[in-house]
Amino acid sequence: MVSEIGIVIIEYLKWFKGVIFLFIDIFYWIVFGPFKGKFSRRQSIFQQMVFVGLRSIIIVVFVDIFTGIVLAMQTAYQLQKMGAVLYVASLVAISLCRELSPVLTALVVAGRAGSAISAELGTMKVTEQIEALETMAINPTRFLVVPRFLALLLMLPALTILGNLAGILGGYLVGTGSLHINPDLYMQTTFKYLELKDIYTGLIKSFAFGMIIALIGCYEGLNTRGGAEGVGKATTRSVVISFILIILVDCIITAIFYFSKI
Amino acid sequence: MKIREEKLNDAVICILEGEININNSPDLRKAFDGLIKRNEKKLVVDFSGVSYIDSSGLATLIEMFQRLKKIGGALRFSNMEQKVKNIFEVTKLHKLFEIFDNREAALKDF
Amino acid sequence: MSVKECKAESIISLRNVSKFFQGKTVIDDVNLDIYCGETFVIMGCSGSGKSTLLRLMTGAIRPDKGSVALKGRDIAKISSEELDEVRKTFGMTFQYSALLDSLNVEENIALPLREHTQLAEEIIKIIIKMKLSLVGLRGYEEYYPSQISGGMRKRVGLARAIALDPEIVFYDEPTSGLDPVVGGVIDKLIKDLSVKLMITSVVVTHDMHSVFEIADRISMIHKGKVVEVGTPEDIRNSKNEYIRQFINGSPSGPIDFFREDIGMEDVLDL
Repeated sequence: MVSEIGIVIIEYLKWFKGVIFLFIDIFYWIVFGPFKGKFSRRQSIFQQMVFVGLRSIIIVVFVDIFTGIVLAMQTAYQLQKMGAVLYVASLVAISLCRELSPVLTALVVAGRAGSAISAELGTMKVTEQIEALETMAINPTRFLVVPRFLALLLMLPALTILGNLAGILGGYLVGTGSLHINPDLYMQTTFKYLELKDIYTGLIKSFAFGMIIALIGCYEGLNTRGGAEGVGKATTRSVVISFILIILVDCIITAIFYFSKI
Repeated sequence: MKIREEKLNDAVICILEGEININNSPDLRKAFDGLIKRNEKKLVVDFSGVSYIDSSGLATLIEMFQRLKKIGGALRFSNMEQKVKNIFEVTKLHKLFEIFDNREAALKDF
Repeated sequence: MSVKECKAESIISLRNVSKFFQGKTVIDDVNLDIYCGETFVIMGCSGSGKSTLLRLMTGAIRPDKGSVALKGRDIAKISSEELDEVRKTFGMTFQYSALLDSLNVEENIALPLREHTQLAEEIIKIIIKMKLSLVGLRGYEEYYPSQISGGMRKRVGLARAIALDPEIVFYDEPTSGLDPVVGGVIDKLIKDLSVKLMITSVVVTHDMHSVFEIADRISMIHKGKVVEVGTPEDIRNSKNEYIRQFINGSPSGPIDFFREDIGMEDVLDL
């Protein structure tokens, strides 16, 4: 029993070490790669940005609009009792920008792009494509991981901003349509209480989430073992681990902001 | 690799020396670019000092051949060692190019 | 197209090489010399360790004991940057061709050229055409690996392996899973490249027909050990029981399909 627990712990530590090493490797190639004249090709970064970003727009907008709507209705239910329905506007905007939009967008992208990354890299691993790259003296981290990492790092915050807007639109629909708040007044209230720091704390979160999704997706993909079944396992693992880490890191960052009064 | 150019009437003789490989074939290409810019149309490449040519060197020659053909010029080779000739034969390029034993034969009715 | 000076010395030499995986000995004290310009075939059953041997030579895995020298440099001891420099001088083809699915035929072959050289795009395009015509696949530039047959993929893999005019090409099961005709085409390609361009070829295979077709020298591997090294003639006339069984493909002999150490006794214990 004890030895089994020991084995599990060692496995976790090994996994953690692997992820950290990959992270260091990515930074090495991003920071020192350009000096060696060996940076990832711009074309493949753009390709990944299109895949991660552009193709996720619809689903992100969809999720955040409905979250905005639900949020508006739920808060209206409470605020009506206090006769403060107008504050639905600021409540929706702030909670979306600070919390819901970064997290939900990250979860959606982890489910969509993160899983696709591990499936793609996992397939490449089991069909010897990764080994082929290495034998051609092409570093897989530079060639495959860095473009995906940069694409997620840039596109997730962009998607989050879009999600913010979509969520506010959702709240606006409920506020003006169902709660009969004057449209101008609704927008005024929204921006009266929404501060710049609410937006950038959300964006800082989404930067961190982007790194998590890319790192876990790539690590699980590159460490796939054992044929098609292994690819399936890697994909599932990458989504589950990303979800857990996103929630965990969200909690940590929120706590930091809370206690440092940002 | 060394590149030397000689002008003879309206033809240019390009004398190559050493090994043509992936590192120096861009230099050869640059030299060819210069010839095209000076509107030279008749070119003989003298291989007497060439010990080895790789794919990038062959590709550079093919490109020059196409460019000269487009402007109505011609590219001929001379003084090729058997070893280098073999490379042309393996890639079946000897049928595409005009290869002569020596410079005089290459320059005849150019 | 490397018709280079070939000295009569070993271009690859393995000295007392051993490799263990999870306590099991996969390669057991192997000594091998492969000479410049020859076609060297490593044959053996599945699981004999022949693919591991190939990966030791390419630096994909490092030996636990002994040294693997390519052109006099011990690739087990050099840094990964130096290993990359060595890797640019050899090519490798894979059992399932290992072309990048996201790139088409042209981009696959162009990959090493674009990554490692400063050649102009026009020159790269011409080189690709030359390599494709060498493997008989002109006109397939725009196809993706998923759109062509297994045999074609292997030939594209070969074109990619020779894109940088390597001195050595490693072939991992070049004819497995192909019909006899395409297998013959690949054999001829390997032979051609080796004879005309003086490329040193190291071929791992268990296709007996292909072995005698292409080999200058053959080594037989069994349970991580070199059983015998010799010319095709030596091997054909060998008295060694392992080799006789392998050539004849007989189920009984010293190469035991059923493991003796695990008999049927445990069935009775149930």
